[in-house]
Amino acid sequence: MTQTTIAAPRTRDRSTRFIQEDWGRRIFRVNREAFRSEQVIEKERRLIWDRSWLYLGHETEVPKPGDFKQRILAGRPLIFARDSTGRVRAYLNSCPHRGTVLCRETEGNAKTFQCFYHAWTFSNTGELVGIPDPGAYPPERGFAAEMGLRQPARFENYRGFVFVSFAADGPSLREHLADAREYLDLMVDHSDQGLEVIPGTHMYAIRGNWKLAVENAMDGYHFSPTHVTFVEYLKTTGYVTSDEGGRAITLENGHSVLVFSGHGGRVGMQWEPRFGDAQKTLTEQNVKRLASRLGEERANRIASTSRILYLFPNLLLFDIEGLALRQLEPVRPDFTDVRAWELAPASETAEERELRIRILGSFIGPGGLATPDDVEAYECVQRGIVATAGDPRPEVDWSDISRGMAREAEGQPARNVDEAGIRGFWRHWDDVVSEKVRA
Amino acid sequence: MIATVTRQEVEDFLFRDAALLDEWRLDEWLQTFEPGATYEVPTTDRPNEDPHRSQYYVWDDHELLSARVRRLKSKHAHAENPHSRTRRLVTNVRLGEPDGSLLPVYAAFLIYKIRDGNVDQFVGRYEHILSTEGGRLRFWKRRAVLELEVLRPGGRLSFIL
Repeated sequence: MTQTTIAAPRTRDRSTRFIQEDWGRRIFRVNREAFRSEQVIEKERRLIWDRSWLYLGHETEVPKPGDFKQRILAGRPLIFARDSTGRVRAYLNSCPHRGTVLCRETEGNAKTFQCFYHAWTFSNTGELVGIPDPGAYPPERGFAAEMGLRQPARFENYRGFVFVSFAADGPSLREHLADAREYLDLMVDHSDQGLEVIPGTHMYAIRGNWKLAVENAMDGYHFSPTHVTFVEYLKTTGYVTSDEGGRAITLENGHSVLVFSGHGGRVGMQWEPRFGDAQKTLTEQNVKRLASRLGEERANRIASTSRILYLFPNLLLFDIEGLALRQLEPVRPDFTDVRAWELAPASETAEERELRIRILGSFIGPGGLATPDDVEAYECVQRGIVATAGDPRPEVDWSDISRGMAREAEGQPARNVDEAGIRGFWRHWDDVVSEKVRA
Repeated sequence: MIATVTRQEVEDFLFRDAALLDEWRLDEWLQTFEPGATYEVPTTDRPNEDPHRSQYYVWDDHELLSARVRRLKSKHAHAENPHSRTRRLVTNVRLGEPDGSLLPVYAAFLIYKIRDGNVDQFVGRYEHILSTEGGRLRFWKRRAVLELEVLRPGGRLSFIL
């Protein structure tokens, strides 16, 4: 990306209950009530989580007809399934009869789901196919036909990534993803056979607001101080990192992306010493195949730059040493559930798969050498911001997100070690919770 | 050549392991691993999956385990600085069928992790493989399998399970 394609800095100031943006004074602040307040989480529930497209799961999590998984999304229990005809589905995990949780197995394979309470049985295509003593209901009403499994209002699949919305109206998924699709495509295009989710889900809670996890992922500034022990480990393996040339790009609809060009290896795409000599030739061949399929320029972009993409509101995609997804599920203002998966090109060799698992595992997740320090950061912010709650002085109960505004104001591109990506998120969030735009 | 190992000897080994970790004596603890030994923690939804093909919470070869110990000893391992208090209860110890000098060992664990006003419990089972070479017990594979459905409310395995 060259400098001329970078959008001019946003010079529109704002002063709302939650955001102060003043380009004259280079101020960007977020009011900490945004992380603490029950009212805010209720507003978010109504204006974001009940409206927006939400990432549900990847279609390869339910590879075979009949496969299903329970998944809670925006607080609602769902069944994520592939029906017997091979179609990927989402159902509310709640019996249409009295609301009982219908499917109680966390995952499995089934042609039908039966509610244990009154033994109503539903096919995995959603129809009510069995009621004990059906003659007790009036036949002329077409009772069974209106008692099929309830579904989220909208469901769409973009290149294997499945999203649902609980609102019947609103922009299509493509409209919602907008220019973020370009970055999603760069990830999917790793392989001509698409991506698949590797078995084994990281599921963990953080004692912090969901937006702290968004800020952290769009914040290249924290990497060196927070992950100093991980960086020290990397150095012992011959890995080099540099922040030179890294960019933060604010996309439409609250999405944003950090681009890294100075970080080291990417499994199957860019070799580094940690990967071992055997991988060197294999990686070169991969990139050659990529170039013949997509052209030199696109192949080079896919292979040699890393990206962290945030899709508003609940998905982070890591296209770094390996490929990973992180789904955010707010529970309370100060508590968030996280689910994280590792993705891989479906076409890769067993050796490459093993390497990918080893390399990404050393970094990411609750047992990795880096993620626990991010979690420490979210949790320390959540505990720390209680100190300023209700402080009568006007500037005290605000978090500063102004880093890089001076460079941006001069027309320079936003760096990923500044806070432009975080500012983009907050502007959109503010517009949504103040009902200026719909999520 | 292959010494007979009693359950009491295995219990002594496991109790010392718990004490070394609770007392944060990580250099001594690392010495209880054979060179080439591994430490692994599978995910809660796929405890029986092969780590070569699936995501784990922890899948350390000896080199990464050594790096993990180096990290935990650093004051910059923020998630464990200050250290959590931990207390490990290890019980229900059973010996498996030895394979040469390798002895499978099973036990139940309950680990209390206390920090920042929270008491988090991690309950599960050990499925270790110990090397009994020369009558001395050492880890060949240290495997902790959590019974938790989700890491909740405490969501980090920043300490050793």
